[in-house]
Amino acid sequence: MEKEQKELPFYRNKTMHRKKIWIFFLAVFFMMTFLIGRLVYLMIFCSVYYGQKAEDLHERERDIKAARGRILDANGVVLATNKSVCTISVIHSQITDPEAVIHALTKELELSEEKVRKRVEKVSSIERIKTNVDKEVGDRIRAYGLSGIKVDEDYKRYYPYDTLASKVLGFTGADNQGIVGLEVRYDDFLKGENGKILTLTDARGVEIENAGETRLEPVNGYDLCLSLDYNIQKYCEQAAEKAYIRKEADSVSVIVMNPKNGEIMAMVNYPEFNLNQPFLLNMESDAVGDEKQTLLNQMWRNQCISDTYEPGSTFKIITASAALEKGVVSLTDQFYCPGYKLVEDRRIHCARVTGHGAETFETGIMNSCNPVFIELGERIGTEDFFGYFKQFGLLQKTNIDLPGEAATIMHKQENVGPVELATISFGQSFQITPVQLVTTVSSIINGGIRVTPHFGVCVKDTDGNLVKEFNYETTEGICTQKTSETMRYLLQRVVDEGGGKNAKIEGYAIGGKTATSQTLPRSEHRYISSFLGFAPADDPKVLAIAIIRNPSGVYYGGTIAAPVVKEILENILPYLEH
Amino acid sequence: MAQRRKKEKRQKTIRYFDYSLLFLVIFLLCFGLIMLYSTSSYYGTIRFGSAAYYVKKQLFATALGVAVMLVIAMIPYRFWMKVSGLAYLAALSLCVVVIFIGRESKGQARWLNIAGLSFQPSEFAKLAVIIFFAFVIYKTSKQLKNFKNLIKVGMIVLPIFAVVAYNNLSTAIIIFGIAVCMMFVASPKYSHFLIVGIAGVAFGAVFLMLASYRMERIQIWLDPERFDKGYQTLQGLYAIGSGGLFGKGLGESIQKLGFIPEAQNDMIFSVICEELGLFGAVCLILLYLLLIWRFMIIANNAPDLYGALIVVGIMAHISIQVVLNIAVVTNTIPNTGISLPFVSYGGTSILFLLAEMGLALSVSRGIKFEVD
Repeated sequence: MEKEQKELPFYRNKTMHRKKIWIFFLAVFFMMTFLIGRLVYLMIFCSVYYGQKAEDLHERERDIKAARGRILDANGVVLATNKSVCTISVIHSQITDPEAVIHALTKELELSEEKVRKRVEKVSSIERIKTNVDKEVGDRIRAYGLSGIKVDEDYKRYYPYDTLASKVLGFTGADNQGIVGLEVRYDDFLKGENGKILTLTDARGVEIENAGETRLEPVNGYDLCLSLDYNIQKYCEQAAEKAYIRKEADSVSVIVMNPKNGEIMAMVNYPEFNLNQPFLLNMESDAVGDEKQTLLNQMWRNQCISDTYEPGSTFKIITASAALEKGVVSLTDQFYCPGYKLVEDRRIHCARVTGHGAETFETGIMNSCNPVFIELGERIGTEDFFGYFKQFGLLQKTNIDLPGEAATIMHKQENVGPVELATISFGQSFQITPVQLVTTVSSIINGGIRVTPHFGVCVKDTDGNLVKEFNYETTEGICTQKTSETMRYLLQRVVDEGGGKNAKIEGYAIGGKTATSQTLPRSEHRYISSFLGFAPADDPKVLAIAIIRNPSGVYYGGTIAAPVVKEILENILPYLEH
Repeated sequence: MAQRRKKEKRQKTIRYFDYSLLFLVIFLLCFGLIMLYSTSSYYGTIRFGSAAYYVKKQLFATALGVAVMLVIAMIPYRFWMKVSGLAYLAALSLCVVVIFIGRESKGQARWLNIAGLSFQPSEFAKLAVIIFFAFVIYKTSKQLKNFKNLIKVGMIVLPIFAVVAYNNLSTAIIIFGIAVCMMFVASPKYSHFLIVGIAGVAFGAVFLMLASYRMERIQIWLDPERFDKGYQTLQGLYAIGSGGLFGKGLGESIQKLGFIPEAQNDMIFSVICEELGLFGAVCLILLYLLLIWRFMIIANNAPDLYGALIVVGIMAHISIQVVLNIAVVTNTIPNTGISLPFVSYGGTSILFLLAEMGLALSVSRGIKFEVD
């Protein structure tokens, strides 16, 4: 072999070839240097970006939903709780028979095949198909035994009494967050904190052994205890429904409250809606899109706190109180009603066009005589009248623990002339919410303590331990004890022998005031009839208001609204004593 | 070296053997097997129930290859002159045969089943082209100054280029590249290769325009995140990016767990990046550079042009595959299937690579030291 090599001719063109080989090597060297540069760019400067993307791909995050706290009434009746539902997801890499998966999910979940197919065929570690699926459907899907489908059990809000206090309780959205009513107001207490499981998976979605999982335990929401009483709410809803049907009204609202501390025992806005199907209109309608949304918003609206109205004669309670406070009237003061009163150049009529004739202040309020109250308004004067409004808390919101409270719509003090002063005196030309009226009257009859109307009493944890008790602001000295006492007496007289006698209940001392107000525009002849009553008259423990909007036929508050309150009080007074 | 030179002065005949090259190759083989095991154990377990499935097959091919390498290293390389024509014809016929009776994988028939073993003729074709083309150039080197003759000589690889390109364009391009590099070294001219280069670019552009799916590849290359088909490229980039400076550690890659399709083949470099980081990746590139530098030394000192051209061919083969593979994995160029020498999974590939190493070692044995 070596012999052969020695015999080789001398290799001539060596220099040229060496040079070319060098050039070739240098070219390779530079290309590799460039690639190293590219690697430096990718692995140092893009490292965070690609690293994060990779991690997102590998990490599977599973929520452990926290159970939302329940809502309980004053006696512990469950008004809102949770029901087991399922969340259906697919894990792309674990699917062995995509067609069967698509078929099963399309059939069971009643989704379009196209939609399901898109999700099933998407390359991702986990893809959610549908949430809030009934447990039975989830069990059926599980029974198919198809790999790659994941059925996670989950909670959904459930309201055992469907429509009961729907506009007060409110409902929750897809992620179990409160949307309206108490559900949103107390969301922070109710929602709890979701837990999480973070695991690393391979491309098939199989969890990697020893990679460890991070687990964050969920914290269940707290139970909310209300002052609302299931039984009282039920009575009130039945009474409201009856009035609604009999009077073919637009709606009927009822509030029952403890005037001493502002605890609301019932709040009805009939017609209510089904909390378990909040997106189903409670009336016949084929509205869609924005139109439907408007109707839904109307349906969810709590008129007791979000809608203002002209209170009419019930407001005479406030005018009388202001006059008593200022000391410009006494029970025996004499008035004369010719059926109208001239204010500047305007003739303002009394409800009884023929006039009440000669009457005292006491009979004036029993008759709900407008000229008497116009006279009182004049005696108080605009400036002091507004001063009393402020003192009574009428011009600020009640701060009830529900979202969406409307503010009082009152004239600007400087714009109030004699005519405006006269109309304000008997409750017209301005608007307040029903809850404002109830609260203000409560503070007048309870001895002068302005209370904050509320539902929430306390929150408890799952084991029933008290977590937090709610305290509400009270302001004392709204009016004197004397005024309060006089007003209780006068309002009892109204029920005993005056315009509110339809609310009289044998064996109970009831106080109250009727109202019939015409809504704007006056030409439409639409009325709001209301009655506000409380009992026992000398030491009020319960105050109720019934408001019937746009009744047909007879529309006088004393005739149609007073019996509603009577019926409610008849039922709940023995119940409260019990 | 100095010692050896002294020795040479005394004895005149010395035995030279490029141990550096041998050790580099052995090191790369071991490194490749370790990385292949790390990368392929997931697919091995899932598909064949054995984490070592791929690495066992590779180990078998490697053992065979090392034996072949050592045998070839012992045979004087000039022997291959006599059989190169035959080898070329054999490679050509095998490549034709594979088109008709090859085992299909992903729509392209690239394997022949011989006695229960898969064999990829295109890998053999690379070796055959190197020894045959070196022989042809060796015989015609004087006439290569003439551009016409250069083209004529170049035409010799056209048949095998065409046959291989029929179902494996990437390998055909590598064969073409090897041939051009060998001619570049043999020809005294530079301008000819400028023309060849421009013609190549123009041809490539027209080639891309002809089919829309090729243009799509370009678009995927420019923005892999926007296309579904950019999945493989993107997964590779995720792996590279998540490696950082020192990587996640050997065996710790997550991207190899099914995220990168067939990670043990062409995309193995991305797993190396993820596990060993920039540091490991640069070390590997430097190893290849060292290997190529050894080839250059051997080629420069080869006793004759034939030996030099064989080594230049091998050098071109390794360089082109390493550069293109890393460029593809880092999305520096559009995606095309090129394996990483000594590391990617592939029995035929490792066998013929080792045969080439044997040839290079054989050429190194013929080196004579000049005495000043």
